Amino acid sequence: MSDTAAPLTQDRQKLEMAALSAPAVVFTVAMIAFPVAYTIWLGFQTFSQTGKQSFAGLANYSKLISDYEFWHGLWVTIALFVLSLVLQLIFGVWLALVLFHAKRLPGIVRSLFISPFMMPPVVAGMMWLVILDPSLGAANYILQSFGLPPSDWLASPSWVIPTVALIDSWQWTPYVALIVLGGLQSLPPSVYEAAQIDGASPFKTFQRITLPLLLPTIVTAAILRSVDLLRFFDIIYITTQGGPGNASNTLNIYGFRVGFEFFNIGYASALMLTLTAIVFGAVLAFNRLRGAVAW
Amino acid sequence: MKARMLATHVALPVLAIVAASAHARAADFDWMKFKGKTVTFLANNNPVSQALLTYKADFEKLTGMTLKVDGYQEQQMRQRLVTVMNANSDEVDVYMTLPSREGEQFAAAGWYADLTAMAKNDVAKDYESAGLSQALLKAATFGGKLTSMPMNLEGPIFYYRTDIFKKCGLDAPKTIKDVEAAAEKIKACDSSVTPFVSRGLKPAVAYTFSNMLHNIGGSYIANGKSNLCSAKGKEALDTYSRLLRDFGPPGVVNYSFQQISALYRGGRAAMAFESSNELRTVMEGGARLKDTGLLPFPAGEAGQVPTTIGWGMAVSSHSKQPDAAWYFVQWATSPEVQKKMALQGIAPPRPSVANDPEYRKWIDEEPVRKEWQAALDVLATKGSSEVGYPIVANPQSREFIGQAVQDLILKQKPIDQACADADKALDALIALN
Amino acid sequence: MTDAANTDRWIRWLNTLQLVIAGALIMAPTVWMVLSSFKPSFEVTAYPPTLMFSPTLENYVELTKTTPFLSYALNSLVVTVGSTALGLVFGIPAAFAVSWTRISWPAILTLAARMAPGTLFLLPWYVMFRQIGMIGSYTALILSHAVITLPIVIWVLLPSFDAIPRSVFEAAQVDGCSVTRILWRIAMPLVASGIAVSAILAFVFSWNYFLFALVLSNGDTKTLIAAAFNFIGEGSTQWGALMAAATLIALPPLVLAALVQRWLVSGLTLGAVKG
Repeated sequence: MSDTAAPLTQDRQKLEMAALSAPAVVFTVAMIAFPVAYTIWLGFQTFSQTGKQSFAGLANYSKLISDYEFWHGLWVTIALFVLSLVLQLIFGVWLALVLFHAKRLPGIVRSLFISPFMMPPVVAGMMWLVILDPSLGAANYILQSFGLPPSDWLASPSWVIPTVALIDSWQWTPYVALIVLGGLQSLPPSVYEAAQIDGASPFKTFQRITLPLLLPTIVTAAILRSVDLLRFFDIIYITTQGGPGNASNTLNIYGFRVGFEFFNIGYASALMLTLTAIVFGAVLAFNRLRGAVAW
Repeated sequence: MKARMLATHVALPVLAIVAASAHARAADFDWMKFKGKTVTFLANNNPVSQALLTYKADFEKLTGMTLKVDGYQEQQMRQRLVTVMNANSDEVDVYMTLPSREGEQFAAAGWYADLTAMAKNDVAKDYESAGLSQALLKAATFGGKLTSMPMNLEGPIFYYRTDIFKKCGLDAPKTIKDVEAAAEKIKACDSSVTPFVSRGLKPAVAYTFSNMLHNIGGSYIANGKSNLCSAKGKEALDTYSRLLRDFGPPGVVNYSFQQISALYRGGRAAMAFESSNELRTVMEGGARLKDTGLLPFPAGEAGQVPTTIGWGMAVSSHSKQPDAAWYFVQWATSPEVQKKMALQGIAPPRPSVANDPEYRKWIDEEPVRKEWQAALDVLATKGSSEVGYPIVANPQSREFIGQAVQDLILKQKPIDQACADADKALDALIALN
Repeated sequence: MTDAANTDRWIRWLNTLQLVIAGALIMAPTVWMVLSSFKPSFEVTAYPPTLMFSPTLENYVELTKTTPFLSYALNSLVVTVGSTALGLVFGIPAAFAVSWTRISWPAILTLAARMAPGTLFLLPWYVMFRQIGMIGSYTALILSHAVITLPIVIWVLLPSFDAIPRSVFEAAQVDGCSVTRILWRIAMPLVASGIAVSAILAFVFSWNYFLFALVLSNGDTKTLIAAAFNFIGEGSTQWGALMAAATLIALPPLVLAALVQRWLVSGLTLGAVKG
């Protein structure tokens, strides 16, 4: 890679680059510095039953280590994350390719294809709650009219995670597809022309040329989705509230309920910071991957 | 630990004083005293506040004050409230609260202004705080402080299909045993309906389960320890979960009011045990208007101890103008306004309003309204406001009750283990008190 | 030659088939939502699900009656457009700089704000904005929502900027163009489709986000999405009104997506400068 601009302008260029990122950086720091500091402080406090707060050192964090619900929540979070991300990346790339090749599709139909993620997640959750209700919903009705056995969907401890992953994938696969589509359209057409001249089959073209060129975009989509998936919230909050039992109790749901329903702000802050650290770690890892696949 | 038995005739001494001295000061009372001030009201956007706020203009005209309303759905309202109160903000003057749920907690955190003195000294002639349900007033009194004024009266009641009962040769159930027998019979007689449905969603279970526990004669706490593994506790857990597992709809562990009402309204459940507030939703479309019977939940060994709660109006302890805020609370819980609200279907927390001829006329218009009010009358006189454990961590205690019930519905644990696990977790919560 | 033509036809046919399958899976629930918004409220949860029903506008009437829907919509629009614009203004140069210098910490920093659960910000932001008297102002809402839009813009644009051959910039530099000028005149037109995509995404995320408005707005600045919740409470669940609200809420992003189609589809401006 070349930073081969004339030596004279190098310093000026650095300065100009810094000036270009500065607004975004300054803005972000201004918005998150206080909340993060405040939450770190809260994480060191305990709130007694009478609302008196006192410094507790690492008590909230040692509680976290011995808290079964935390470890269980971590497991649920990771399971949901992996399952949903894999589904969304595979189907997202597929959908992007299908849409990319359907060049004559009218714009309005194309935007309908990417409509699910425009639905407010709250509404999507409510809607799927009705559709998947084992007694009221259309899903089992359709299954049964094809002679297939009904499912308990969200109400079964063993099926709840796959079902939630499916709902989330319905909503967010088109989002991944849209990002990948943007990437596809930025690809220089020349590479395809070259491949066509070589007589490569469509599958080969995809495998050898399109996919490698798309990888940075796919990783970007994965990063953006990971950030949401590791903080999985809306759909579970609406459909199961972490149940049945604690089968879908993700860390974010758990932390939220500890803070805003059980009013233990100190412990909730510790939980939320830990979750933030986990997401941060995942993003750093993905970003290394992005660096590795950039071209 | 005290079981909150809430018979109307048991009045706290404090409240008796409230009643006695109210008239003495009423002469100086001036509704216009805080003219020009603005009161902010954080409302749960439910039918209770909706009915109340139809008369917002009346309040502003009467007092010359401005009422700023900030309405959210229940959970969002609580979220906003927790934020505002934790920030010690004076932004909210008056808010809606459920004493049965968060009362102990908010009181312990000091989020309620003490209304005792204001309810005593600063009232209009016709206010009559003694006329409010003594049971609900008592439920809103913590450590001798009156924390909120009741807005309505509600509780889980038993909805059943008279036509199905008739078809299957059944009478209206009088006892829990009758409910079980009816479920059994309906399962055999009409396989197209779900015999019995109630709440199975973990945080929602306590609302209906508490009624069952109390009817059976159980208690949450005995000798300072969680009591679910007592004989009565286990009987309640077993009966509640068995009814839902064997006679409830598939997926009942996710059921709360939305699903229960939808199932019953659609004619697909023969018996439903759900909030009295859901009557309007259940009757939407009119399909259930003529074939529904309503009762307080049938008796157990301890008779009928229905769960009776209500929304209350509290003044924020951070409010800079608690006296002006109190004027709004007073107006909203006055006999006049509560009568108007009653005519919109909000069960009044005042016996005098419940007996008002105009309200009675409205009740008599539909047989189902009559049964509804009759059930509510029982709730008003016999009810207990104990939903979940009577401890500061009440909201969290509901988790473990729900967990035990779900463990049994899903057959994940034998009953002895389910109740023991719950008791262990709950003992830890009780110890925090 | 005929062989190739045959394969071509097959591929096209296969693609159409996939398109139909994908469309059915994706759109069925949305169609169900829109249809439900025209059903009488109690019929939404009817079983078996009704396909034939006499359509009614009562849910939409109910909506306008029970909530100041228009003024909420206006609030949502102000907040969303403001935060999307802010996200683009801050995000486009930052993405360009990150892509050029390969120094990625600014991009990660902006994303960091999205990594924390939204609930973490509620209390601190409330405290912060109250300190400067901005609770209930559009400014506070726009700033908080820009925290959502900024990383979306940056991260969606990164790969697009990365895809521009370096030689294009180097040529411009030799001509004596400043970096800012290169961004404005050369890079931005090349990533027009990426900008369109990032703007849609930013718009949608900002439009649908309710948590921050919950504590930072007041009765006058409340956003539309907060109102949608009001139809699912105990004693007041109105499926029909909820579906009508959802349909109306989903409409603006959908219209926006349709409007910027031109850039989405014909984003191949790269072809113009290749070589």
